[in-house]
Amino acid sequence: MSDLRDLYQQVILDHSKRPRNFLKLQGADRTAEGHNPLCGDEITIYLKLDGDVITDISFQGAVCAISKASASMMTSALKGKTKAEAEALFGKFHEMVTGHRGAASDPAGLGKLEVFCGVCEFPVRVKCASLAWHTLRAALDGKGEPVSTE
Amino acid sequence: MRDLLGAATHRYLDFLAAIEGAIGLAAAMEYVQRIGLTQIAAYEKELLAYGTELLSAIPGLRILGTARDKASVLSFVLEEIHAHDIGTILDHEGIAIRAGHHCAMPLMKRFGVPATARASLAFYNTREELEALAKGIHKVKEVFA
Repeated sequence: MSDLRDLYQQVILDHSKRPRNFLKLQGADRTAEGHNPLCGDEITIYLKLDGDVITDISFQGAVCAISKASASMMTSALKGKTKAEAEALFGKFHEMVTGHRGAASDPAGLGKLEVFCGVCEFPVRVKCASLAWHTLRAALDGKGEPVSTE
Repeated sequence: MRDLLGAATHRYLDFLAAIEGAIGLAAAMEYVQRIGLTQIAAYEKELLAYGTELLSAIPGLRILGTARDKASVLSFVLEEIHAHDIGTILDHEGIAIRAGHHCAMPLMKRFGVPATARASLAFYNTREELEALAKGIHKVKEVFA
Protein backbone atom coordinates (compact mmCIF):
# COMPACT_ATOMS: atom_id res chain seq x y z
CA MET A 1 0.00 0.00 0.00
CA SER A 2 1.21 3.47 -0.79
CA ASP A 3 2.73 5.56 1.92
CA LEU A 4 0.51 7.92 3.89
CA ARG A 5 3.25 10.52 3.70
CA ASP A 6 2.83 10.63 -0.08
CA LEU A 7 -0.70 11.85 0.54
CA TYR A 8 -0.18 13.94 3.66
CA GLN A 9 2.98 15.72 2.60
CA GLN A 10 4.26 18.46 4.90
CA VAL A 11 3.24 21.22 2.48
CA ILE A 12 -0.30 19.82 2.35
CA LEU A 13 -0.53 19.58 6.13
CA ASP A 14 0.78 23.13 6.43
CA HIS A 15 -1.82 24.50 4.01
CA SER A 16 -4.60 22.55 5.72
CA LYS A 17 -3.70 23.97 9.12
CA ARG A 18 -2.93 27.49 7.92
CA PRO A 19 -4.94 27.90 4.74
CA ARG A 20 -4.05 30.89 2.56
CA ASN A 21 -6.82 33.11 1.15
CA PHE A 22 -9.28 31.54 3.58
CA LEU A 23 -11.80 34.36 3.81
CA LYS A 24 -14.89 35.80 2.23
CA LEU A 25 -13.66 38.19 -0.44
CA GLN A 26 -15.43 41.53 -0.11
CA GLY A 27 -16.76 42.85 -3.41
CA ALA A 28 -16.22 39.59 -5.28
CA ASP A 29 -17.41 39.60 -8.89
CA ARG A 30 -18.16 35.91 -8.89
CA THR A 31 -18.87 33.26 -6.29
CA ALA A 32 -19.66 29.59 -6.62
CA GLU A 33 -20.47 26.82 -4.18
CA GLY A 34 -19.21 23.28 -4.45
CA HIS A 35 -20.38 20.18 -2.61
CA ASN A 36 -18.95 16.76 -2.13
CA PRO A 37 -22.20 15.18 -0.90
CA LEU A 38 -20.78 11.79 0.05
CA CYS A 39 -18.17 13.12 2.46
CA GLY A 40 -19.93 16.34 3.39
CA ASP A 41 -17.40 18.82 2.06
CA GLU A 42 -18.75 22.24 1.20
CA ILE A 43 -16.72 25.02 -0.29
CA THR A 44 -17.31 28.52 -1.64
CA ILE A 45 -14.95 30.20 -4.08
CA TYR A 46 -14.83 34.00 -4.41
CA LEU A 47 -13.33 35.70 -7.47
CA LYS A 48 -12.42 39.18 -8.56
CA LEU A 49 -11.88 39.51 -12.28
CA ASP A 50 -10.38 42.23 -14.42
CA GLY A 51 -11.45 41.19 -17.89
CA ASP A 52 -10.04 37.71 -18.21
CA VAL A 53 -7.54 38.04 -15.40
CA ILE A 54 -8.13 36.70 -11.88
CA THR A 55 -7.00 39.62 -9.75
CA ASP A 56 -8.06 38.10 -6.44
CA ILE A 57 -9.42 34.77 -5.27
CA SER A 58 -10.37 33.28 -1.92
CA PHE A 59 -12.34 30.43 -0.44
CA GLN A 60 -14.25 29.32 2.63
CA GLY A 61 -15.73 26.04 3.72
CA ALA A 62 -15.88 23.11 6.09
CA VAL A 63 -13.72 20.56 4.38
CA CYS A 64 -11.12 17.85 4.95
CA ALA A 65 -7.38 18.47 4.98
CA ILE A 66 -6.91 17.48 1.34
CA SER A 67 -9.76 19.72 0.13
CA LYS A 68 -8.60 22.63 2.22
CA ALA A 69 -4.94 22.35 1.20
CA SER A 70 -5.97 21.98 -2.43
CA ALA A 71 -8.15 25.11 -2.28
CA SER A 72 -5.44 27.02 -0.42
CA MET A 73 -2.75 26.14 -2.96
CA MET A 74 -5.08 26.65 -5.90
CA THR A 75 -5.95 30.17 -4.80
CA SER A 76 -2.27 30.92 -4.25
CA ALA A 77 -1.40 29.64 -7.71
CA LEU A 78 -4.13 31.46 -9.61
CA LYS A 79 -3.75 35.11 -8.61
CA GLY A 80 -2.84 37.08 -11.71
CA LYS A 81 -3.60 34.19 -14.07
CA THR A 82 -6.03 34.41 -16.97
CA LYS A 83 -9.11 32.21 -17.26
CA ALA A 84 -7.42 30.19 -20.01
CA GLU A 85 -4.30 29.67 -17.86
CA ALA A 86 -6.49 28.57 -14.95
CA GLU A 87 -8.32 26.07 -17.18
CA ALA A 88 -5.03 24.69 -18.49
CA LEU A 89 -3.70 24.29 -14.96
CA PHE A 90 -6.88 22.48 -13.90
CA GLY A 91 -6.47 20.13 -16.86
CA LYS A 92 -2.94 19.23 -15.77
CA PHE A 93 -3.91 18.97 -12.12
CA HIS A 94 -6.84 16.71 -12.94
CA GLU A 95 -4.68 14.43 -15.06
CA MET A 96 -2.19 14.17 -12.21
CA VAL A 97 -4.63 13.38 -9.38
CA THR A 98 -6.57 10.87 -11.44
CA GLY A 99 -3.36 9.19 -12.56
CA HIS A 100 -4.00 9.91 -16.23
CA ARG A 101 -0.98 12.03 -16.82
CA GLY A 102 0.14 11.56 -20.39
CA ALA A 103 3.81 11.08 -21.22
CA ALA A 104 3.74 14.33 -23.18
CA SER A 105 2.49 16.50 -20.31
CA ASP A 106 4.96 18.73 -18.57
CA PRO A 107 5.07 18.13 -14.81
CA ALA A 108 7.05 21.34 -14.29
CA GLY A 109 3.98 23.33 -15.31
CA LEU A 110 2.20 22.48 -12.06
CA GLY A 111 4.86 23.93 -9.79
CA LYS A 112 3.97 23.56 -6.11
CA LEU A 113 0.72 21.79 -6.99
CA GLU A 114 2.89 18.78 -7.77
CA VAL A 115 2.64 17.83 -4.05
CA PHE A 116 -0.83 16.42 -4.82
CA CYS A 117 0.65 13.69 -7.02
CA GLY A 118 0.21 11.22 -4.14
CA VAL A 119 -3.58 11.60 -4.35
CA CYS A 120 -3.82 9.31 -7.39
CA GLU A 121 -2.86 6.40 -5.12
CA PHE A 122 -5.92 7.14 -2.97
CA PRO A 123 -8.88 7.04 -5.39
CA VAL A 124 -11.49 8.02 -2.79
CA ARG A 125 -9.61 11.26 -2.14
CA VAL A 126 -9.48 12.45 -5.77
CA LYS A 127 -12.77 14.27 -5.28
CA CYS A 128 -11.38 16.03 -2.22
CA ALA A 129 -8.41 17.32 -4.19
CA SER A 130 -10.49 18.45 -7.16
CA LEU A 131 -13.51 19.98 -5.39
CA ALA A 132 -12.00 23.49 -5.27
CA TRP A 133 -11.09 23.31 -8.95
CA HIS A 134 -14.55 22.20 -10.06
CA THR A 135 -16.00 25.03 -8.00
CA LEU A 136 -13.55 27.48 -9.54
CA ARG A 137 -14.66 26.44 -13.00
CA ALA A 138 -18.30 27.09 -12.01
CA ALA A 139 -17.31 30.53 -10.72
CA LEU A 140 -15.44 31.33 -13.93
CA ASP A 141 -18.38 30.15 -16.02
CA GLY A 142 -20.57 32.42 -13.93
CA LYS A 143 -23.22 29.76 -13.40
CA GLY A 144 -25.26 30.30 -10.28
CA GLU A 145 -25.88 26.59 -9.68
CA PRO A 146 -23.86 24.89 -6.95
CA VAL A 147 -21.57 22.21 -8.37
CA SER A 148 -21.42 18.71 -7.00
CA THR A 149 -18.74 16.08 -7.40
CA GLU A 150 -21.46 13.41 -7.68
CA MET B 1 -35.02 -25.43 -8.50
CA ARG B 2 -38.04 -26.18 -10.68
CA ASP B 3 -40.37 -24.45 -8.24
CA LEU B 4 -38.19 -21.39 -8.03
CA LEU B 5 -38.16 -21.08 -11.80
CA GLY B 6 -41.93 -20.81 -11.77
CA ALA B 7 -44.39 -21.36 -14.56
CA ALA B 8 -43.32 -22.58 -17.95
CA THR B 9 -43.72 -19.17 -19.54
CA HIS B 10 -41.21 -17.67 -17.13
CA ARG B 11 -38.79 -20.54 -17.38
CA TYR B 12 -37.40 -19.43 -20.74
CA LEU B 13 -36.88 -15.79 -19.92
CA ASP B 14 -33.27 -14.65 -19.73
CA PHE B 15 -33.48 -13.61 -16.09
CA LEU B 16 -34.27 -15.26 -12.80
CA ALA B 17 -35.61 -14.15 -9.48
CA ALA B 18 -32.83 -13.22 -7.03
CA ILE B 19 -32.49 -16.83 -5.88
CA GLU B 20 -28.96 -16.37 -4.57
CA GLY B 21 -30.18 -13.49 -2.40
CA ALA B 22 -32.96 -15.56 -0.85
CA ILE B 23 -30.65 -18.52 -0.23
CA GLY B 24 -28.01 -16.23 1.25
CA LEU B 25 -30.52 -14.53 3.52
CA ALA B 26 -31.77 -17.87 4.81
CA ALA B 27 -28.20 -19.01 5.54
CA ALA B 28 -27.48 -15.74 7.32
CA MET B 29 -30.61 -16.07 9.47
CA GLU B 30 -29.72 -19.63 10.41
CA TYR B 31 -26.22 -18.49 11.32
CA VAL B 32 -27.47 -15.65 13.52
CA GLN B 33 -30.04 -17.92 15.19
CA ARG B 34 -27.41 -20.55 15.90
CA ILE B 35 -25.35 -17.98 17.82
CA GLY B 36 -28.45 -16.45 19.39
CA LEU B 37 -29.67 -12.86 19.22
CA THR B 38 -29.54 -12.47 23.00
CA GLN B 39 -25.90 -13.55 23.09
CA ILE B 40 -25.07 -11.27 20.18
CA ALA B 41 -26.71 -8.30 21.90
CA ALA B 42 -24.89 -8.99 25.16
CA TYR B 43 -21.52 -9.32 23.46
CA GLU B 44 -21.99 -6.20 21.35
CA LYS B 45 -22.98 -4.25 24.46
CA GLU B 46 -19.79 -5.36 26.16
CA LEU B 47 -17.72 -4.39 23.09
CA LEU B 48 -19.43 -1.01 22.97
CA ALA B 49 -18.65 -0.36 26.65
CA TYR B 50 -15.01 -1.27 26.13
CA GLY B 51 -14.74 0.81 22.95
CA THR B 52 -16.39 3.78 24.65
CA GLU B 53 -13.90 3.51 27.50
CA LEU B 54 -10.90 3.34 25.14
CA LEU B 55 -12.03 6.18 22.91
CA SER B 56 -13.12 8.43 25.78
CA ALA B 57 -9.57 8.28 27.10
CA ILE B 58 -8.15 9.86 23.92
CA PRO B 59 -7.60 13.61 24.40
CA GLY B 60 -9.48 15.73 21.85
CA LEU B 61 -11.88 12.95 20.91
CA ARG B 62 -15.60 13.52 21.38
CA ILE B 63 -18.14 10.73 21.04
CA LEU B 64 -21.45 11.75 19.45
CA GLY B 65 -24.58 9.84 20.35
CA THR B 66 -24.55 8.62 23.89
CA ALA B 67 -28.06 7.23 24.38
CA ARG B 68 -28.06 4.54 27.04
CA ASP B 69 -29.39 1.71 24.93
CA LYS B 70 -27.97 2.72 21.57
CA ALA B 71 -26.77 0.27 18.94
CA SER B 72 -23.11 -0.71 19.03
CA VAL B 73 -21.77 2.19 16.99
CA LEU B 74 -19.14 4.72 17.97
CA SER B 75 -19.48 8.04 16.14
CA PHE B 76 -16.83 10.56 16.97
CA VAL B 77 -15.06 13.76 16.03
CA LEU B 78 -11.41 14.44 16.70
CA GLU B 79 -10.14 17.97 17.29
CA GLU B 80 -10.01 19.82 13.98
CA ILE B 81 -9.23 16.68 12.00
CA HIS B 82 -11.86 15.94 9.36
CA ALA B 83 -13.53 12.52 9.40
CA HIS B 84 -12.38 11.76 5.87
CA ASP B 85 -8.76 12.20 6.87
CA ILE B 86 -9.35 9.98 9.90
CA GLY B 87 -10.88 7.39 7.58
CA THR B 88 -7.95 7.36 5.15
CA ILE B 89 -5.34 7.01 7.88
CA LEU B 90 -7.26 4.30 9.76
CA ASP B 91 -7.78 2.48 6.46
CA HIS B 92 -4.03 2.54 6.05
CA GLU B 93 -3.75 0.89 9.47
CA GLY B 94 -6.12 -1.86 8.34
CA ILE B 95 -9.18 -0.48 10.13
CA ALA B 96 -12.38 0.13 8.17
CA ILE B 97 -14.68 2.84 9.47
CA ARG B 98 -17.30 5.02 7.83
CA ALA B 99 -16.80 8.77 7.50
CA GLY B 100 -19.09 11.61 6.53
CA HIS B 101 -22.79 12.28 6.85
CA HIS B 102 -23.99 8.69 7.28
CA CYS B 103 -27.12 9.55 5.27
CA ALA B 104 -28.12 12.06 7.97
CA MET B 105 -27.10 15.34 6.32
CA PRO B 106 -30.07 17.44 7.55
CA LEU B 107 -29.51 16.34 11.15
CA MET B 108 -25.79 16.99 10.99
CA LYS B 109 -26.39 20.42 9.47
CA ARG B 110 -28.81 21.16 12.33
CA PHE B 111 -26.10 20.36 14.87
CA GLY B 112 -23.35 22.09 12.90
CA VAL B 113 -21.22 18.97 12.51
CA PRO B 114 -19.62 18.80 9.03
CA ALA B 115 -18.81 15.09 9.28
CA THR B 116 -18.19 12.34 11.81
CA ALA B 117 -16.11 9.19 11.85
CA ARG B 118 -18.00 6.05 12.83
CA ALA B 119 -16.85 2.63 13.90
CA SER B 120 -19.62 0.01 13.85
CA LEU B 121 -19.19 -3.01 16.09
CA ALA B 122 -20.63 -6.42 15.39
CA PHE B 123 -20.39 -9.78 17.12
CA TYR B 124 -17.44 -10.81 14.97
CA ASN B 125 -15.35 -7.89 16.24
CA THR B 126 -12.94 -8.34 19.13
CA ARG B 127 -11.52 -6.35 22.02
CA GLU B 128 -8.13 -6.48 20.27
CA GLU B 129 -9.65 -4.77 17.26
CA LEU B 130 -10.93 -1.98 19.48
CA GLU B 131 -7.44 -1.60 20.89
CA ALA B 132 -6.13 -1.39 17.31
CA LEU B 133 -8.74 1.31 16.63
CA ALA B 134 -7.57 3.35 19.61
CA LYS B 135 -3.96 2.93 18.50
CA GLY B 136 -4.95 3.95 14.96
CA ILE B 137 -6.58 7.12 16.26
CA HIS B 138 -3.35 8.02 18.04
CA LYS B 139 -1.62 7.53 14.69
CA VAL B 140 -4.10 9.96 13.10
CA LYS B 141 -3.18 12.53 15.73
CA GLU B 142 0.51 11.95 15.04
CA VAL B 143 0.09 12.60 11.31
CA PHE B 144 -1.66 15.88 12.08
CA ALA B 145 0.51 16.84 15.06
